[in-house]
Amino acid sequence: MNQSYETLTTDVLVIGAGGAGMRAAIESAAAGAQVAVVSKSLLGKAHTVMAEGGIAAALGNLDPEDNWQVHFQDTMRGGQMINNWRMAELHARESPDRVYELETYGAILDRTPDGLVMQRPFGAHTYRRLCHVGDRTGLEMIRSLQDRIVQLGVEVHMEVTLTRLLKDGDRVVGAFGYNRVDGRFVAFRSKAVIMATGGWGRLYKVTSNSWEGTGDGVGMGFDAGAEVLDPEMVQFHPTGMVWPSGVRGLLVTEAVRGEGGYLTNREGKRFMLEVDPKKKELSSRDVVARAIYKEVQAGRGTEHGGAYLDVRHLGAEKIKKKLPSMYEQFLRLADVDITRQPMEIAPTIHYAMGGLRVEPETGATTLPGLYAAGEAAAGLHGANRLGGNSLSDLLVFGRRAGAAAGAYVREVQLGNVDERQVTEEQRILLLPLSADGTENTYLLQQQLQQAMQDGAGLAREEKSLKTCLDRILELRQRSARIHVPGSRKYNPGWHTARDLRFMLTIAEAIVRAAIERRESRGAHWRLDYLEKDPALGRVNFIAYNDGGQVKLKTRPVPEMPPELAKLFAETPSSSPSPPPAASPPKPQQVRT
Amino acid sequence: MSTKTPEKTARSGAPIVLQIFRGDADSAGGEQRFEVPAVEGMVVLDAVHYVQANFANDLACRWNCKAAKCGSCSAEINGRPRLMCKTRVDEFGDREIHVGPMRTFPLIKDLVTDVSWNYEVNKQIPGFTPAANEPVPYKMLPEDTERVYEYRKCIECFLCQDVCHVLRNHDDKSAYYGPRYMVRIAALEMHPLDTRKRTGLLHGQAGIGMCNITKCCQEVCPEHIKITDNAIIPLKERTATDVHDPVARIARKLNPFSGAAATTDLVAARDGQASAPQRFAVKDVVRLKARGRRFARVASVLPDGKLEVWVLHMNGSVQHWDGPKIVRTSDVTNNYGPLDEVGIGGKLVEQYITEDHAAEQHG
Repeated sequence: MNQSYETLTTDVLVIGAGGAGMRAAIESAAAGAQVAVVSKSLLGKAHTVMAEGGIAAALGNLDPEDNWQVHFQDTMRGGQMINNWRMAELHARESPDRVYELETYGAILDRTPDGLVMQRPFGAHTYRRLCHVGDRTGLEMIRSLQDRIVQLGVEVHMEVTLTRLLKDGDRVVGAFGYNRVDGRFVAFRSKAVIMATGGWGRLYKVTSNSWEGTGDGVGMGFDAGAEVLDPEMVQFHPTGMVWPSGVRGLLVTEAVRGEGGYLTNREGKRFMLEVDPKKKELSSRDVVARAIYKEVQAGRGTEHGGAYLDVRHLGAEKIKKKLPSMYEQFLRLADVDITRQPMEIAPTIHYAMGGLRVEPETGATTLPGLYAAGEAAAGLHGANRLGGNSLSDLLVFGRRAGAAAGAYVREVQLGNVDERQVTEEQRILLLPLSADGTENTYLLQQQLQQAMQDGAGLAREEKSLKTCLDRILELRQRSARIHVPGSRKYNPGWHTARDLRFMLTIAEAIVRAAIERRESRGAHWRLDYLEKDPALGRVNFIAYNDGGQVKLKTRPVPEMPPELAKLFAETPSSSPSPPPAASPPKPQQVRT
Repeated sequence: MSTKTPEKTARSGAPIVLQIFRGDADSAGGEQRFEVPAVEGMVVLDAVHYVQANFANDLACRWNCKAAKCGSCSAEINGRPRLMCKTRVDEFGDREIHVGPMRTFPLIKDLVTDVSWNYEVNKQIPGFTPAANEPVPYKMLPEDTERVYEYRKCIECFLCQDVCHVLRNHDDKSAYYGPRYMVRIAALEMHPLDTRKRTGLLHGQAGIGMCNITKCCQEVCPEHIKITDNAIIPLKERTATDVHDPVARIARKLNPFSGAAATTDLVAARDGQASAPQRFAVKDVVRLKARGRRFARVASVLPDGKLEVWVLHMNGSVQHWDGPKIVRTSDVTNNYGPLDEVGIGGKLVEQYITEDHAAEQHG
């Protein structure tokens, strides 16, 4: 007893229209495939637009010593060596070309006096490496990709939410969902699906993420049987706004520190000088976030429970030129003039290192026909992502997934749509509208966000994680009794009800893996296991769907080939923190 | 989304009264009153989210970043087109806050309108077109790119489209692309490496002539883009030149700022001179119609009204520029002929002088 739905057919279905999705679409189209891009929002609004700091690429425009090997090492060390080395290698090798390519789409990055692409320093990057446009790099990227998509005539379906992958046997052959505007159901039949749906920052209460970061793409992949790698690795960005409470969590770009901003506690002490004397404020994000947390815990926090971030010494002119949106953001939302007053900041949830497990070269997941790229995929960043590595990730692996899917669809035919899967998904979707439940979908979502913030946040321990897991499981039960008033016509309550199911799945995967990783590594900080465990440093956790249950298994971290491993010989990977920026590897050490 | 719990918010002060438009294309619709507990630093979007979570789960509104970076949450707040995420509730004091959809676009539901027309317009604009042999990586000098950044700041919130009287009052969306797409075309036209001409489009389909410079669009722009001053007026000039004066168009093709290659030639041509390479900020360029074979270019208009001028000599296909020279306007017209009469003449020079003065005094 299916409700009617529209069926659209394409070669490659790209779910998500952020940086990764659009870059993938461009490449699939270039390979001659028919491409449809599906976006939950209007085109150009995806979370990529919020990226501020820049695109990490070893162009060496300012520091000629920089090269892909150094970028590779920085990325691996930042990820505490549980990254997929091959992804890190491809990323470091290819990101320069992707940056240049972006300019051929019409982007104009900030420039050196000689007309080259300007680069700025960033946390845990040995050299000045981040290509940027002031503090609106993400906007420049998304607009350039959007323009390219329009130029290529790629079909875009705006405000369509897909909620289930359709399978023909093991193979992914499309996806099913609804049109947000009128609530009509829609099925896409495609030869390949590229999941580029971003992360799951909305799982937490204090987050820098837009509403879209609900983990739905990874949740869909998980439901369909794909493996989710490193779910426990969730990054706190050290600097989010803390006050006023209405803007709590809003990102304060790392470029503030890149341009010379420093952190102090309530007593005016610059605590990063002790925590990481070499890199200071530009240590990796996990280190800086923990340092701020510890200051607050020790009673040296600011009035609203954070630290001060100060740029006044840069002078008003530089602040307004290099950090215009930060200046505007604080002035407008917090009545703080950052040229005269320090900013008050605290860590905010920012990025999911975990995601669908993919093949480095192709972005192929463990399911045939399903690819993933960007934040929805995992492996590149390991236990902690370096700032700027996300935008380059989108371009490098968006392109690779797009190319691989473009090639794959030449070899296969459209699969069959199994009506039972459509019926089942329609039932799930319609339940909150028809059921006479009493639960409010928004309030359940808020309770989940609170539970994750309390139990699976920056500082974790077994007890808090287990409590959090119990709360998630309880919320999952209650979510079956959600009732949403109104019709299917542009009904955000109805949309949220389905999002919540994905959020609960991902939350459970995060917490289960966080319990099992009985060590502190990168973004995963266990108060009851403060040290690294070398044995756990050799494995990644994988969450998978076992008959509707979230199950965990481990997988050995892929072993680096000797020529790359020897790059790390000088400074062993078991060192407690990444090596100091002031002693970059000599060129002869890094050239293989 | 709002993450404040009711218990917490209920403690802080007098409630905020919101009048939110509810309705869809099939019903008349009207405002519905809601009271929301005030929270320090609350923006209108927070208040709308509170209503959505607690009183009207199906209240339709668009939003994404809640940081004024994506341009999704456009609405009309107490009659003025604004971003909900950037509008503090405390600026209204005790007054009721009326929140409605953008009126220029067809209503879908509540605060959500059908803005798809904008995306269709965008498709009609020829995209960035570099020369086929342009070497990658691109070389673009900061002076040549500086101007474009302002246009590229656009977050496509469509508030300028909403307030544009051509689109709004006359409902004549076939006659004019609207301010957003003037900004987009300006970004393409001023891109240092773009080779395409869009003035025919501007003159025709895009309908730049429909704009009569009321500047409403730049008043509502949350990114503070001077849409009229810095995008529409320069495009109007360029269109007038190209459509009515083909000679000037050819002259512009020789412009040093239209491509890195040309810039490089110029720098090479001036080898041996110690001064900085010659560059022109687009905004200040005033073309002079020259007698004979010489072209003069005003590099900038100085605060005292004098002009900084470079003079172009053509030696076969090699451009050579002499300058800069500081001259009186009359010297230029006496030596090189009348100022270009198609919109870039004396009147506009005066305008630039006035504006530059103002900018410097305030800057």
